[in-house]
Amino acid sequence: MDVVTPSRGRFATTLLRLLTVQGSWNYDRMIGVGFGVSEEPLLRDLVQNGDGSAYRAALARGALFFNSHPYLAGLAVGATARLELERAPAQQIERLRTALCGPLGSLGDRLVWAGLLPFAAAVAMSAIALGAGWQAVALFLLMYNAGHLTLRWWALRAGWRYGAGVASALRNSTIQRLLGLSGPALGLAAGFMLPVLIRGFAAPLPPWARLVFAGTAALALAGLRLVPDRVSGLRIGLAVVALGLVGVWIWR
Amino acid sequence: MSWLETHLLLLTWGTLVGLDLVSVGQTMISRPLVAGAVAGAIVGDLATGLQLGIVFELFQFDVLPVGAARYPEYGPATVAAVSAAHFAGGTLAVGFGAGVGLVTGLLGGLSLHLLRRLNARAVTRAAAALDAGEPEALIRVHAAGILRDALRAAVVTTVGLLLARSSRLVFRSALSADHVTLLTAAVAGAAVAVGAAGVLRLIGRTPTLKWFAVGLAGGAVVAWTW
Repeated sequence: MDVVTPSRGRFATTLLRLLTVQGSWNYDRMIGVGFGVSEEPLLRDLVQNGDGSAYRAALARGALFFNSHPYLAGLAVGATARLELERAPAQQIERLRTALCGPLGSLGDRLVWAGLLPFAAAVAMSAIALGAGWQAVALFLLMYNAGHLTLRWWALRAGWRYGAGVASALRNSTIQRLLGLSGPALGLAAGFMLPVLIRGFAAPLPPWARLVFAGTAALALAGLRLVPDRVSGLRIGLAVVALGLVGVWIWR
Repeated sequence: MSWLETHLLLLTWGTLVGLDLVSVGQTMISRPLVAGAVAGAIVGDLATGLQLGIVFELFQFDVLPVGAARYPEYGPATVAAVSAAHFAGGTLAVGFGAGVGLVTGLLGGLSLHLLRRLNARAVTRAAAALDAGEPEALIRVHAAGILRDALRAAVVTTVGLLLARSSRLVFRSALSADHVTLLTAAVAGAAVAVGAAGVLRLIGRTPTLKWFAVGLAGGAVVAWTW
């Protein structure tokens, strides 16, 4: 069934609302309510001759449980909005939403949380350790958000373009190429960062404090690698501060 | 800038940072690197802001915000840490600031869990209207969630800043320069370990490991010669 593409303004409103898709995140529907809020502008054409029943039914479906990576939620929002306007059966729309949760979560986690974000952070931290100031922080924000906002816009447009066949958008060659590149890029950047940071931290310390630095790092790394289920970064940090304060108290 | 103006700015910045983490934008101003740099600029001590930003950014490598995972919140924590460190001696007091920040990060994580439960309760209360597809109810529940998060972020930042102030009053006279250096060395060591463990977990045993080794060698050469 042919549908009229909503105006650019409606897509822009949806994109803006997608920036808050996790605003009502909860253990019950996860980002479902935010999904419905984001989808709403694209559904307005369902109101015809004053009859809003299809619009309300679509909104109710939109606000049900949904979870995915927030940057890729637009892919599901675009696809389901298109199906709603095509008057596809409710079961088909619900099946599509359910089917997209896992892949969108997994793809976003690999591409963003385990790719772009730590890569950009590692580059910025290396730059700061080598003498850059606030410019490195600005570079981090620019580099990250160029990727972030492009991904959000692409996801929404691709979801609308592909509709029920949205799975083929996930096989998009650019996405796959980026996934292939993200691992090596992160490996290089993070590997480069560690010795540069170690030097940056250790250089201003007196010799005895360098021993404390190295000893704490070795013990903490051993704990994190050997018993990862019991030891977290936060626990290590709090324990080190507590032991440090005890050490200081004894040393007085 | 007066003390009050500085702290009002820090509170506003911490609130924005807390909102960015989950609810609005996720443009990563909530990353410690950014939160710390701006907090440092606010108190007029960019060097301390950047240094604490790096410390907490390394701690952040331990966090993967996947699904319903529970994790500490290091954005407002870094703002509180910068406040504590700056007024206690600047870059030398990074360890002291980190202590304040880690406690604030723990509280921030707990507050996120509470927020999600409150949001779930609000959704349950509005379930009939949501299931009837009422757009006003949808927007109301969503906007209330964002407001609740803004309030949460403001409270966490306030508690962090109060913790920073009270810790300074308690510890400033008790800590000598050597004590402060000891804390900084220990915290920096822990941060490097947490960052390294986080990186290794992200990379896993994949072929990426060889790129990591190449980067490590390059970084070692630069660190040696720079």
